[in-house]
Amino acid sequence: MSAAARDLEDMVEECPADSNEAGWAGVCQGCPGKELCLSQGSQPDPEQQVIDTRLGAIRHKVLVLSGKGGVGKSTMAVLLAQILAGEGQRVGLLDVDVCGPSIPHLLGVEDQPVLDSQWGWQPVVSPLGKIKTLSVGSLLSSQSQAVVWKGPRKTALIRRMIKDTLWGRLDTLVVDTPPGTSDEHLTIVRLLATTRPSGAVILTSPQRLAAGVVSREIRFCQKMNVPVLGIIENMSGFCCPCCSEVSEVFPGGAGAHLAEKYRVPLLGAVPLDLGLAEAGVSCGWRDSPVAQAVRDMVAKIKEKL
Amino acid sequence: MGIKTLVSSRRSVKDCPGTNSQDAGKADACAGCPNQQVCASGAAAAPDPDLAVVRERLASVKNKVLVLSGKGGVGKSTVSAMLGRALALDDSKEVGILDIDICGPSQPRVLGAAEEKVHSSGAGWSPVYVSDNLAVMSIGFLLNSADDAVIWRGPKKNGMIKQFLRDVDWGALDYLVVDTPPGTSDEHLSIVQYLSAAPPVAAVVVTTPQEVALLDVRKEITFCRKVNIPIIGLVENMTTFVCPKCKTKTAIFPATTGGGPQLAEDTGVPLLGQLPLDPRVAQACDEGTNILTQEPDAAVTQAYKDIANKIKEYCEAQSQEAT
Repeated sequence: MSAAARDLEDMVEECPADSNEAGWAGVCQGCPGKELCLSQGSQPDPEQQVIDTRLGAIRHKVLVLSGKGGVGKSTMAVLLAQILAGEGQRVGLLDVDVCGPSIPHLLGVEDQPVLDSQWGWQPVVSPLGKIKTLSVGSLLSSQSQAVVWKGPRKTALIRRMIKDTLWGRLDTLVVDTPPGTSDEHLTIVRLLATTRPSGAVILTSPQRLAAGVVSREIRFCQKMNVPVLGIIENMSGFCCPCCSEVSEVFPGGAGAHLAEKYRVPLLGAVPLDLGLAEAGVSCGWRDSPVAQAVRDMVAKIKEKL
Repeated sequence: MGIKTLVSSRRSVKDCPGTNSQDAGKADACAGCPNQQVCASGAAAAPDPDLAVVRERLASVKNKVLVLSGKGGVGKSTVSAMLGRALALDDSKEVGILDIDICGPSQPRVLGAAEEKVHSSGAGWSPVYVSDNLAVMSIGFLLNSADDAVIWRGPKKNGMIKQFLRDVDWGALDYLVVDTPPGTSDEHLSIVQYLSAAPPVAAVVVTTPQEVALLDVRKEITFCRKVNIPIIGLVENMTTFVCPKCKTKTAIFPATTGGGPQLAEDTGVPLLGQLPLDPRVAQACDEGTNILTQEPDAAVTQAYKDIANKIKEYCEAQSQEAT
């Protein structure tokens, strides 16, 4: 391989964006992100105390991550929140997916605005379990409005969603994330750094292609010292409503493969459920085949918290 | 001691005026943005000299097709690879696939090139050839380990995309299919900015039938219109699943609000096709094999070929209009 391609490989490997060297290291010369890293990295955050106070009133913070899109992070975040709320916990659900916020739709609060007071934003309360929730979706004037923002602006909004939001005392804050390992993920992990996230639940679909992407997310957690509570394999099998034959719609067995490779627990496998997909999480899901699988997984997650 | 109305919170979501706009750094929406000072100083508005380099590099690429969605997991990478393969079935055409999903690059595996590495010469970086007339470039080829996390913020991702466009030596291509990550953010703004300097470019938008996907896809269509990227059409993926035992068709992701066809009608975008959910496609993508040649009689194979033909017809019509 030529010198130029080898240099590029080194640059890709060594980016120190999340360390004290961000912007200062030799490899940063010529990088377009250098100025941003220099401005964000070096000084202590003056607002950290406010952030820590807000987060100090929240006992457990559980991140729902994947890296891969479309594996059911938002759906699982809502199910997790509903089950915990059903057990009497005070639960919040924060949606940091700025470009594709799904939580308002899944919680049935699409038409409810976020109220702004002098003490901060009041999260919307979902009737499905009295869950306090905040999403950029609740801040849009129209659901087809596209939020076309670059990284720094998404970062600033996510900070406000923690710092300026009246979450109050909560037992558990579930955080739904977008796919990837970028601004949103770095921001939320940094915000939680001093008060420590309780851990991350990692979603995958059974496909090996998904495993390839999700493995990067597991490595992200390891790198950022976020404990991995376990892996959930979603869309694992489909039961034909006509003949009850269980088929592998997305063959691969990625959940077990990842659990073994990275030595993290496999919390369980959740089948594709027509009832859940059709009705949404708002009604009827509690009797579905998914429900028991998810309840078992929540029990395991609670043991680790 | 009152409660201000929701207007002030919705104002915080007002759009960035754009780093090149006259209002950059000065608009209401700029207050509180970490980039405000940079924009206000005018530094961000200087014309990018690399635009001209990209334009020159892409001058030999006849048609650029962006595969977008907004929603994750609808099959953008699968559709990009299948369309690339379908277009390349015609030996006389040269096809390239550019994977700009920096955090979750899928194309090396989907195209069976996961172990390949990129080589560089005086003419630039050589893309990886998966067949005589199908080439691909992805950050996946540049990573030493298959599971290294690429934890980059926006500006660095933009820099990588620019390098791909500036330095990859595609040669003369009839079609360049660009696989994008989910969302409407840095990568999308970046690719649109650079490709708009080297027209023609058009988009194919992928969705699945359920409303939670359509929510994001509507935003993506709004995005395309806002940045003046013409939309060739909408592809609905995973429409129905055929039980291998009893052959009953089930809509696993039910179109409770009309799915792709209704969205196409509502937004005035042509519906290019509806792809069934065939587990053999997922398996082929995992293994890096070409289902179009392995299962030539499968319904999904014909569906992909039909969509590819419609894209070809669109591109030919556009180039005839231009001349």
